[in-house]
Amino acid sequence: MKNRANDIATSGISRREFLHSTASISFVVGTGGAIAACSSGAGPEAESTVADKTVTPNIWVTIGANNQIVIKYAGTEMGQGSMTHVPLILAEHMDADWADVSVETVAVNDKSYGNPIFQNNLYTAGSTHVMVYFDKLAHAGTQARKWLMSAVAEHWQVPMTELSTKPQVVAHAASGKEISFGDIVASIELPTEIPEVDKSEFKAKSDYRYLGKSIMRRDVPAKSNGSQLYGMDVQVPGMAFAAIHRCPVEGDGPAIVDDVAARAVPGIIDIVTLPYGVAIVGETVEATKVAKSKLQVTWTEKSPFRKKNLDTSLREYQSAAHDLDLAGVAWGRPSGDAKAHLSSADRVVEATYSSDPAYHAQMEPLNATASVSDDGKSAEIWVGTQTQSLTIMGAAEALETEEANITLHPLSMGGGFGRRSVLRQQYVDDALFTSRALKRPIKVIWSREDDLLAGQFRGPAVQYLRGAFGADGKLTAVHHRVATPYNLPTMNKHRWEASKPKDVISMLGSENSTYDIAHHLAEHIPTDRPCRVIAYRGVATSYTKFAIESFVDELAHDRGINPLEMRLQLCHKNPRMTKVLERVAELADWGRKMPADRALGLAISGYSRSLSAGIAEIAVDSSNGRISVLRYFGVGDAGFIVSPKNAQAQLLGNIIFGLSSGLHERVTIKDGIVQQSNFHDYRIMRMNEVPDIQAEVLTNDAPPTGVGELGMAMVAPSIANALFTITGKRVRHMPLAPDVVLRALNT
Amino acid sequence: MISLKINGVDTTVDAQEDTPLLWVIREHLKLTGTKFGCGMGQCGACTVHVDGHPTYSCLTPVATVNGKSITTIEGLSEKSDHPLQKAWVDLEVAQCGYCQSGQIMRAAGLLANNPKPTRTDIVNHMSSNLCRCGTYPAIMAAIEQASAEIADEK
Repeated sequence: MKNRANDIATSGISRREFLHSTASISFVVGTGGAIAACSSGAGPEAESTVADKTVTPNIWVTIGANNQIVIKYAGTEMGQGSMTHVPLILAEHMDADWADVSVETVAVNDKSYGNPIFQNNLYTAGSTHVMVYFDKLAHAGTQARKWLMSAVAEHWQVPMTELSTKPQVVAHAASGKEISFGDIVASIELPTEIPEVDKSEFKAKSDYRYLGKSIMRRDVPAKSNGSQLYGMDVQVPGMAFAAIHRCPVEGDGPAIVDDVAARAVPGIIDIVTLPYGVAIVGETVEATKVAKSKLQVTWTEKSPFRKKNLDTSLREYQSAAHDLDLAGVAWGRPSGDAKAHLSSADRVVEATYSSDPAYHAQMEPLNATASVSDDGKSAEIWVGTQTQSLTIMGAAEALETEEANITLHPLSMGGGFGRRSVLRQQYVDDALFTSRALKRPIKVIWSREDDLLAGQFRGPAVQYLRGAFGADGKLTAVHHRVATPYNLPTMNKHRWEASKPKDVISMLGSENSTYDIAHHLAEHIPTDRPCRVIAYRGVATSYTKFAIESFVDELAHDRGINPLEMRLQLCHKNPRMTKVLERVAELADWGRKMPADRALGLAISGYSRSLSAGIAEIAVDSSNGRISVLRYFGVGDAGFIVSPKNAQAQLLGNIIFGLSSGLHERVTIKDGIVQQSNFHDYRIMRMNEVPDIQAEVLTNDAPPTGVGELGMAMVAPSIANALFTITGKRVRHMPLAPDVVLRALNT
Repeated sequence: MISLKINGVDTTVDAQEDTPLLWVIREHLKLTGTKFGCGMGQCGACTVHVDGHPTYSCLTPVATVNGKSITTIEGLSEKSDHPLQKAWVDLEVAQCGYCQSGQIMRAAGLLANNPKPTRTDIVNHMSSNLCRCGTYPAIMAAIEQASAEIADEK
């Protein structure tokens, strides 16, 4: 695969040459609609030839006289597939030949490429890329095609209406003449005016060659032979390695550093004291690891986090959630007057749910490589990041310099899941500060233990739900109080300023978006955090849906209604959700007779305007609380599906993530310190625990929405609902780990 | 100096005897297809073959493989065309991809000894390797597809 950011990152190109080449790229794409020609791969002093000529009708695409097309990708790739399927949208509408297209990741913080959901930052999160960029790239592709065709029409003196395109060729059927896009660039003068296009000119779905056809992800071959470059793999000439010994408690740092033994380890270059820890710098990775084990650090003990314990936090959250006099921050669009209806309702059902923090557990331990200039005011950074913009902004802030002085090489991520989405990325700071001190390129590699100890987790939550039934037995009101910390202040202060006091990361999924409930209020009760908290896969939906979907079953049970019937009634105004429910019920053969020790449980979830429903078939060992998920059935609806194969793989992966997270995953905090340290005590699912899964993503003509977090959040509540059917006991805590289940069974 | 045969090439490395083979492969020899994931034999991202046996390179002191033959993902096939690699591409197994070198090397160890594994064989053999993206069903399918291809060739 051609990915220029990657090529540059490893070519050993000097910093000066690199700045030079990126500068020429940004000139080319400077202002929308401007045409510029440049010689790719050569400096301006080099003599350009016709074969080198390129043209750019808009910021997204460059067409070469050599018939090669370069499409810009504003995201970053972490396994979700958008590096392929987002540029493919442009290629489709331009009628490019995908085989002649290379994809270039935008590596600068240029807001014209930005994601409008995230303040126009280049930001890959929330399963938003296909949804947000579809029309933009369809427009850019349609515009490029029309521009080329208009040039050909003029040149051949034929009406535009008589021209058509096939991959990378403009054809005139009447005369039989054809010309490739490359030859147009090489031999025909293109109009200086870039044509306007509107949505009505977009290619009809029925004419798609690529979209909806499961075009192979471009990163797959390199990820099957070891050649894909991740941040961890970067080799920068002259670099040294650093391990970080971070204070285990946030807010404290080194008081006394005894580094005599550490410095004596062969290969150790220096030991650098940082505000929050100590960097051990060596000529080899292994030297830094050995020296780290010999380092003696006494930490300051002033941090308020030293008093934080998860169990205490959860108790506080529960009191706050239950204290109805404690006003919360309304989330979503409250409807009617839920509080009034609850106080006058014929019958009120209530329940409280809690959930532990969870760890992203991306397979690549965090790392970054930085080369800071001798004056400490500019830097080159190689890192896997979910956001070019925030990495550049955060690095500039760390070095107290201008963004223009930061050169970023975004690399493939060995998993993201939200972990690499914040403004000040700890591992980038580590590399910058250490490189600045050493005046040398530094690759910082966190151990898995570091990755947990300094983890930024999905926050703990306690949720209090109350539901009211009217005289006719219909659900009329729901009040949902979510006691959980704010996330945005620690993720990105700029976003927080624009959003406060509302925090989507803390609250997503609690809004009343799917069900028809006349009186609905979701409220955020912000609480103190016991640990670092940021976005996680599915953000808040992973706990809000656990509470809501467990609660819907509790309501159904109270009414004596089948949980499927209950949901179909609540979704009666939502034909797409109804279809998803009906399909998953069909797949699982909902209602079939089950042996007494097995049951089916149902839940729905949604994400990024997509919908999903899942059914778990489970058994439980009541002697030890172990749940066995025997089969899982999942159905999603994400509108028009750009790549059915990838969407299905994402839904499958989400279900497995949801099984892992829902059944096992739990971070605990004692005296401000994370108690888990590696995969032996933070368990993620292995192949031997994966049930038979049937996953289907429906496709339709609705605008495409996200699939990267589709279906994960339904898994835990569907299992809890099945467990209730078998045992008559309700587990209201996530994860549904054996000790949690056993405690519920014994009450 | 430690002598190793890596991907068929005899080489010597200047490393401490207790250096994990993983770091020798990745940073001394710059064969970065083999990944660091946990450092304690829990995830399998570092899996390589030592004399044909899938081995956690993160737990293997380099001195213990002195004179032995090491195969990494880069040396599994000449043209990335081991039946497993072809199946991995065909079925688009990888998502983030970080664990996949280890998965492929683990699976290659299985097929070398057991060309027609049952599903249970595959699960038992592959459960040492973690995948956070949840590609396990695709890994299972790819191993079965590669197994079928090997059977057809014979």
